[in-house]
Amino acid sequence: MPMKIIPWDLGAIPSRFFLFGEAAWYTVQITALGVLLGLVIGLIVALGRLSNNRTISTFSRAYIFLIRGTPLLVQLFIVYYGLTSIVTIAPIPSAVIALGVHNGAYIAEIFRGSIQSIHYGQMEAARSLGMTRSKAMRRIILPQAFKRAVPSLGNQLIIALKDSSLASTIAVPELMLRGRQMGSSTFMYMEMFIIVGIWYLLMTSVLSYAIHRIETRLKVSDRD
Amino acid sequence: MTEKKKIKPIMKKEPIDPDAPFLRIEKLNKWYGQLHVLKNISLSVQKGEVVVIIGASGSGKSTLLRCVNFLEKAKDGKIYIEGKRIRNQEKQLNRVRQDLGMVFQHFNLFPHMTVIQNVMEGLVQVKGLPKDEARERALALLDQVGLNDKAEVYPSMLSGGQKQRVAIARALAMDPKIMLFDEPTSALDPELVGEVLTVMTDLAKLGMTMLVVTHEMWFAKEVADRVVFMDDGVILEEAAPEKMFSAPEHERTLEFLKQVLPH
Ligand SMILES: Nc1ncnc2c1ncn2[C@@H]1O[C@H](COP(=O)(O)OP(=O)(O)OP(=O)(O)O)[C@@H](O)[C@H]1O
Ligand SMILES: [Mg+2]
Repeated sequence: MPMKIIPWDLGAIPSRFFLFGEAAWYTVQITALGVLLGLVIGLIVALGRLSNNRTISTFSRAYIFLIRGTPLLVQLFIVYYGLTSIVTIAPIPSAVIALGVHNGAYIAEIFRGSIQSIHYGQMEAARSLGMTRSKAMRRIILPQAFKRAVPSLGNQLIIALKDSSLASTIAVPELMLRGRQMGSSTFMYMEMFIIVGIWYLLMTSVLSYAIHRIETRLKVSDRD
Repeated sequence: MTEKKKIKPIMKKEPIDPDAPFLRIEKLNKWYGQLHVLKNISLSVQKGEVVVIIGASGSGKSTLLRCVNFLEKAKDGKIYIEGKRIRNQEKQLNRVRQDLGMVFQHFNLFPHMTVIQNVMEGLVQVKGLPKDEARERALALLDQVGLNDKAEVYPSMLSGGQKQRVAIARALAMDPKIMLFDEPTSALDPELVGEVLTVMTDLAKLGMTMLVVTHEMWFAKEVADRVVFMDDGVILEEAAPEKMFSAPEHERTLEFLKQVLPH
C-alpha cells in the first residue's frame, strides 16, 4: 500500500461541500437577525449614553460595561439555560437574542463614536433653524453618523457571523454543529472542518465585498 | 427673471410694538469657567438697521452672537425681540430661533443633503411647508444669492464663497426678522470674500435687520448704520461708521483700527 503524503482524504471536500448548505443558511439567519437586533439595541443604548438624563446614561454605560466585559458564550448560556426557571427559549431564538444583546453593546459604542465625530456646528446649524434636539438628531446628525459608522458596522457584522458558531453549543443546527456531526459520523474531522472554514470564508468575503461597495456608494456627497 | 420673484412671507408676523427695538440685549453676562467673557453687555438693534461688531480676537464677539440665539446660555441678562423677553425655554427658543437667521464662519451646511435640500430643510421640517412649495421658495432664495444653477449639487462641490451664500439662503428661508452673521467671510480665500459681501450688502439694501461680526472694515464703513467696538468683553464704544473710523473716542479703538486698516 503506497504511503499517503497527506493523511486526509481531501477529495471528500468537494463532494460533501453542499451537504452544509442548509446549515450555512441557519448561520446566515441567526447572524442577520442577531445583528438586526443588535442595531436596534445599539442605537438606543448609544443615544442613551449621550443623553443628558443621568439615569439613562448610567444605565446605558452599565449595559456596555457588563456585556463587553463577559464572553458571548456566557451570555448565550444565560439566555438558553439560565432563564429556564422563568421562561424556556428555543435554541434559535436564544442564539438570536444572545447575539443581539452582545452585538448591541459593541454597536452602541460604534454609533456613539460616529455621532460624537459629527462636528458640533451641524447641531448648531440645525438648532438655529428652529429644529428641536431630537429632530436635529434624526434629520441631521444620525444620517451622517450612520454613514461614518458603516466601515465599523461591517467589521462588526463579520465578527458576528463568526461568533454565531457558538450557537452550536446550544444545538442550533448551524455550520459549526453540522461540522461536528459530520465529523463524528464520517471520522473525517479535518475534511469536514475545512469545509466549514471554507463556508465561513465565502460568506465573510461576500460581506467584505458588499460593505466595500456600500462605502464607495456613500462617498457621493463628501469630498472633504 | 429680475425683481418679480418676491419672496412671500410664510408666517403671519405678530403685532409689533412700534417703539421697541427689534433686538435688545440687556446686561448680559457670560462666563466660561473663571473667564468673564461678556461683561454686562447691553445693545439694541432697530428695525432695518445694520450693526457691525468689530474687535480683537477673543473679545467676545462670537459669544455675544451665540448668546443672542441661545446657542450659548448666558449667566444673566435679558434678551428681547420686538419687545418680547426671550427665555431659556426649549419651546419658545425653537420658535424664536426661526426669527434669528444665523450664518456661521464655517458655513455648517448639511453635507448629506444637496444645496436645495439644505435650503428646504427648515421650511419642510420646521415650518411644515409642503415639499413643492418649499422647493419653489428655496429656488427663489438660491436665485437671490445667485446660485440657482447649483441647486442639485452637494455642498462639497462648492467653493467657500458659494457655500456661504447657500448658508445665507438657508437662513433666509426661515423668513427671519434679523440676520446674525459671525465672521461670514473669515474662512474664505480673499478672492471669494467679495461675492458674499455683495449678497449681504444687497440684503441690507432690501431692509434686512442685521447684526454682523466681521473683520472686513470695508463692509463696516460702507454698509453699517452703526459700528460697535468690543474689547475684552465690553462694548467700549459704538458710533456711526464715519465717526468710528475717523474719530474714535478711545485709545483702544484707535489702536485696533490702526492694526486692521490698511496703510
Ligand atoms: N466654548 C468655550 N469654552 C471656553 N472658552 C471659550 C469658549 N468659547 C470661547 N471661549 C473664550 O471666550 C473668549 C471670547 O471668545 P469669542 O469666540 O467670543 O471671541 P471673538 O471675539 O469671537 O474672537 P475671534 O475674532 O477670534 O472669533 C475667548 O477668550 C475664548 O477663548
Ligand atoms: Mg469669533
